[in-house]
Amino acid sequence: MAPNRLLLILGCALLPLVLIALMMGPVFISPASLLHALLQALGGTGEGRVTSQDGLILFSIRFPRVLLAGLVGVCLAVCGTAMQGLFRNPLADPSLIGVSSGASAGASLMIVLGGGALLEGGQFAGLSVVALGAFAGGFLAVILVYRLATSSTGTSVATMLLAGIAISALAGALNSLLSFVADDEMLRRISLWQMGSLDAANWPRVWIAAAAVAVVMLLLPREGAALNAFLLGESEARHLGIAVDAVKRRLILMTAMAIGISVAVAGTISFVGLIVPHIIRLLIGPDHRYLIPASALAGAMLLIVADAFARVVVAPAELPAGILTALLGTPFFLSLLAQKRRVGEG
Amino acid sequence: MSLSAHNLSLSLSGTPLLNAIDLDVLPGKISTVLGPNGAGKTSLLRVLVGELAPDTGSVTLNGRALQECPAIQRARTLAVLPQHSLLNFPFTAAEVVMLGRTPHATGIAHDREVVAQALQAVDGDYLANRIYTQLSGGEKQRVHLARVLAQIWESSPDGERYLVLDEPTSSFDLAHQHLTLEVVRSLADKGVGVLMVIHDLNLAARCSDQMFLMQCGNMVISGTPQEVLQRETISRVFQVDASIGVHPLSGTPLVIT
Repeated sequence: MAPNRLLLILGCALLPLVLIALMMGPVFISPASLLHALLQALGGTGEGRVTSQDGLILFSIRFPRVLLAGLVGVCLAVCGTAMQGLFRNPLADPSLIGVSSGASAGASLMIVLGGGALLEGGQFAGLSVVALGAFAGGFLAVILVYRLATSSTGTSVATMLLAGIAISALAGALNSLLSFVADDEMLRRISLWQMGSLDAANWPRVWIAAAAVAVVMLLLPREGAALNAFLLGESEARHLGIAVDAVKRRLILMTAMAIGISVAVAGTISFVGLIVPHIIRLLIGPDHRYLIPASALAGAMLLIVADAFARVVVAPAELPAGILTALLGTPFFLSLLAQKRRVGEG
Repeated sequence: MSLSAHNLSLSLSGTPLLNAIDLDVLPGKISTVLGPNGAGKTSLLRVLVGELAPDTGSVTLNGRALQECPAIQRARTLAVLPQHSLLNFPFTAAEVVMLGRTPHATGIAHDREVVAQALQAVDGDYLANRIYTQLSGGEKQRVHLARVLAQIWESSPDGERYLVLDEPTSSFDLAHQHLTLEVVRSLADKGVGVLMVIHDLNLAARCSDQMFLMQCGNMVISGTPQEVLQRETISRVFQVDASIGVHPLSGTPLVIT
């Protein structure tokens, strides 16, 4: 498929998808009611511009939630693309550099140490203490991995891979230890948190995630040519005039920041970072100049759809979105693999 | 103007690999590095292109210390073809060759033209839209040859151009071995300085202007093929008895073992 065509298709499909997702939920909102609320919000002035029940649901619950799903999807997919390029491995994903397990450990620590009181009351800029713990844990793990792999001669990707495994194991052990000492209520919180869910969406979280997406989508596409050259190998990239170590540092920092934030606002949602770049690469090839924007759009769409289903399949209860990303993405991915236009994909 | 090594020494974890090597790659000339396995040929190449830092000595590119050249300028004047490539992503062959244009900002239309010409030069136009990962070993190597050709295809305002190749003919059949040498010769005729590591002495004899013969990290002798390919030298360095004849067509030395 021509890359521009895929970008066009994805771009056109995003808006209808968002609108459909806005209607879906325990309370179904009809298209007419959605249109009415949107027009009211656009045209209205002053306070109380949206008064209907549907409008309230839309603007205080659905909108933040759908937007957050889209933004987190962008972060996960785009950072997955960057990591697969950096590690020259189509099986890499952001969890490889320790960010997911670090965040899990950070969140568990807050759940166990904080206990009930802190969980209910402790808020900072719309983020719970648990979310802050997750961000700190994820970021700390990545910085540690990066430090371990960096010497006077530069950063070794191979060492980074090993350090990532080691730090992940360490964080995993810490996580298990915390689960062991936790009581039943904490244990349930920990395991639910690890499945990832968007049910805590609110406007402050949307703005934080939007800031992360803005930074990543502004900076990462500039590394497209460098990432393409990276696929040849580091020495070759250097011979092509790429400042290899500076690129690596920027990619790692961006990933730590974006994934740290997305984990903080939505928990660990696996699979998107691994599978979305993969799917796009099967469709349009590995050129990062197209791969990055296309993955961003597809990542947003996958998570929006997964979260919409998460809200309705067991309504009024909810499934964690992380379960659904895997359930929805896998069949699609497998069917693509079966057709496999570009054989030889590592 | 040249790509030059001055008094290079290198040792890795106590083992000396290079010992006081001097070498000049001159624009418009083809130089070859010869020697038995473990003589330090690849180490020398890696130091020359800046992949390894020497313990002592220095490398200069067009009169400037290599480490002080800005990365882009270096990439526009020095292209390197490694022996093996790690690439395992399904680019098309033309996309791989296009990567050679990374350091240039000449516009996509012009880059496409260069890519087509470079592919044609390596007898690879029919590969352009094939998926790289599905190609044979020899085809892959030709695609990479086209990539480094595309990198230094046109003369650069940044200085004379150089091409360094590590055993470029090792995975080629006879026809493509000779094609490679023709490509390299026509590049040299356009003013590019070429340095190759090559194992086949006769192939080297036919294409070299200048030969560097190495053994155990030392430069044994350098000079024209006639000067280097002497019977005593060959038997001393390669430990085989050889007779030296003359190629009936090219008049270059012919090593018969």
